[in-house]
Amino acid sequence: MNEEKIVISVKDLVVAFGSFKAVDGVSFDVRRGEIFGFLGANGAGKTTTIRTICGILNPTSGTVKVNGQDVSSSTAVLKPHIGYMSQKFTLYPDLTVRENMNFAGSLYGMSPEAISRRARELTEFIGLPHDLPDPVSHLSGGVKQMAALASALLHEPDLIFLDEPTAGTSPATRVAFWDLIRRLARQGKTVFVTTHYMDEAEYCGRIALMERGKIVAMGTPQELKDQFFAVKPLELSFLKPVQAALRAALDKAGIASAVFGDKLRVRAHDRQAFNRAARPFEGAFEAREVPPALEDVFLEAVSGRKGV
Amino acid sequence: MKLSLRRVRSVAYKEYKHILRDPFTLIVALVLPLVFVGMFGFVIDLDYKHMRVFVRDNDQTSVSRRFLQEVASSGYFDLTPVHGQLQADKALGRNDSPALMIIRSGFGKNVRAGDPAKPGQIQLLADGTDNVQAGIMGTYMQGVLQKANAVFMRADPVLAGQSIAADSLIRSRFLFNPELNSRWFIVPALSTIIIGLLAIVLTALTVAKEWENGSMELLLSTPVRPAEIVLGKLIPYFLLTFFDILIVFALAIYVFHIPFLGSFLLYMLACGVYITGALALGLVISVVTRQQQAAIQFAFAVGLLPSFIFSGFMFPIENMPVFFQYFTALFPQRWFLLISRTVFLSDAAPVTLAAAFAGIGLFAAVMIVLAVKKFKTDVEP
Repeated sequence: MNEEKIVISVKDLVVAFGSFKAVDGVSFDVRRGEIFGFLGANGAGKTTTIRTICGILNPTSGTVKVNGQDVSSSTAVLKPHIGYMSQKFTLYPDLTVRENMNFAGSLYGMSPEAISRRARELTEFIGLPHDLPDPVSHLSGGVKQMAALASALLHEPDLIFLDEPTAGTSPATRVAFWDLIRRLARQGKTVFVTTHYMDEAEYCGRIALMERGKIVAMGTPQELKDQFFAVKPLELSFLKPVQAALRAALDKAGIASAVFGDKLRVRAHDRQAFNRAARPFEGAFEAREVPPALEDVFLEAVSGRKGV
Repeated sequence: MKLSLRRVRSVAYKEYKHILRDPFTLIVALVLPLVFVGMFGFVIDLDYKHMRVFVRDNDQTSVSRRFLQEVASSGYFDLTPVHGQLQADKALGRNDSPALMIIRSGFGKNVRAGDPAKPGQIQLLADGTDNVQAGIMGTYMQGVLQKANAVFMRADPVLAGQSIAADSLIRSRFLFNPELNSRWFIVPALSTIIIGLLAIVLTALTVAKEWENGSMELLLSTPVRPAEIVLGKLIPYFLLTFFDILIVFALAIYVFHIPFLGSFLLYMLACGVYITGALALGLVISVVTRQQQAAIQFAFAVGLLPSFIFSGFMFPIENMPVFFQYFTALFPQRWFLLISRTVFLSDAAPVTLAAAFAGIGLFAAVMIVLAVKKFKTDVEP
């Protein structure tokens, strides 16, 4: 990895709350201009990691460097370069969007003129309605999230941290949000985003899968798929109602499967073992190979397999 | 990195917007003080006249008779002469009289001698069971004494030529509870202490609210510093509560006609410093608890108890055990009441209040520093 391009460098990071280790020995680098995704279930340690990088949580051990500077000792210097959108909605509900933006901008030392200009640009960029005279609490969930993003981008940060930005929003908002994230990356911004939506992770340049405070896999989406699935997963469509019985048989044989609507997705790395387990149900289903999704990768990674 | 006044102003402006849009804060801050001062003003009857006072004149000279004429002509006191100790003791025990005045023998002689070291003496024994009336009587009597002094000085050509202080001819000494003097002088002071309590509650909510609604996370991710947040939050609440104090003061003086003898500027300075300490204490509570419910409970406990118990308002500090006399020095309420009393009752030189001003000033400074130092700059639970 080109050292000059590394903007975030995390080494052996541990963040403990009492005896509980929320982040347990995490190391990774993020390059300038990339969309780096942090994937994991709730409680995996994604938010704790992001907060530590943003300088609002102190690491128990390990080092976190942003733009080559240690976050713990250079928080004040680094904060103007960082735009942070928290998982929790953090705008003031009794202020309007514009008042929130004015406040956020002024804390970064922006002049009222600069705030006005940026607010106009971001309104265009994000697609926020121009005239929002009501307090933020009166706005819809999607508009609120967009407003929070606008507030985080106001001071033109190089590094943008988005913690579950699409959680609880409509599919349309999610699409719009990811479109924005890609456009930010095209502008040269580094975007560090966490999500627990596996489909969203496909939009990331690289992703790290997190489970119980540890990174269990990291790479581009394709690299991870290749790493974990030398043999493609199978998707089974049923001609007779044997889904439950077949699943039980697969479980018994140690073959992982997951229900996808009326279909069963089987991570059958050992095809012979699958054939043996499924033989009693021959003719009751049709199987076809499908490309692995990140969800398959995640399930494999979490189950402890190192890839084949 | 230095303190940015611009960021302080931004935080202050944001708080100002919160206040404007929060009906609870506005009602608490603007309506309650008016209710308090109105309540005190109406409940405490200020128009004490024709208070019955028994008089035992042991001097029986033209001076003592002249003095009693002055007392009677004030309109505040109806004098009833008593003779002998037994009758005097009985008089004091009667429910229809709040006081017994004893003029000592030699009174006339001492007044005429004009020696400040040996003034004419009267003794006023007031019934302490009605401490409000007793206090008011004491204050009225002070006024009457001053007037009588002036009259004697004018009437006597020998005395008029001498530079004798107006109060040195006749002095009064209160036998019971000398701290009682005129509780209603401190109505505005008490209102200010209640405004101080409100101030603690108001600011106790502000930081805790930011933690609870998540906006603190946003604040901490920006370059804003704890000192800027603390000062920014203090300023609008200071203006709001100081506005309250002005209203309360105006009501007390112009509507309830409470006398004010001292320096207005000195009193306002004391109010400003006192309120700053109260607001900063609220912030300390908020910064430490980070939860609105805990903060408000804490604020009431911390604000209410010292206001009434350790301020000298309910229990005279001079009567407390020595340890508690020193202990009360920790509470700004004690010093503020002392300043109020002095400034309301007299035009005492500011230097006499230096210790009291140091008390409230030190408290405010310590609280501001504590609020900044205890401000958590990370989101660790």
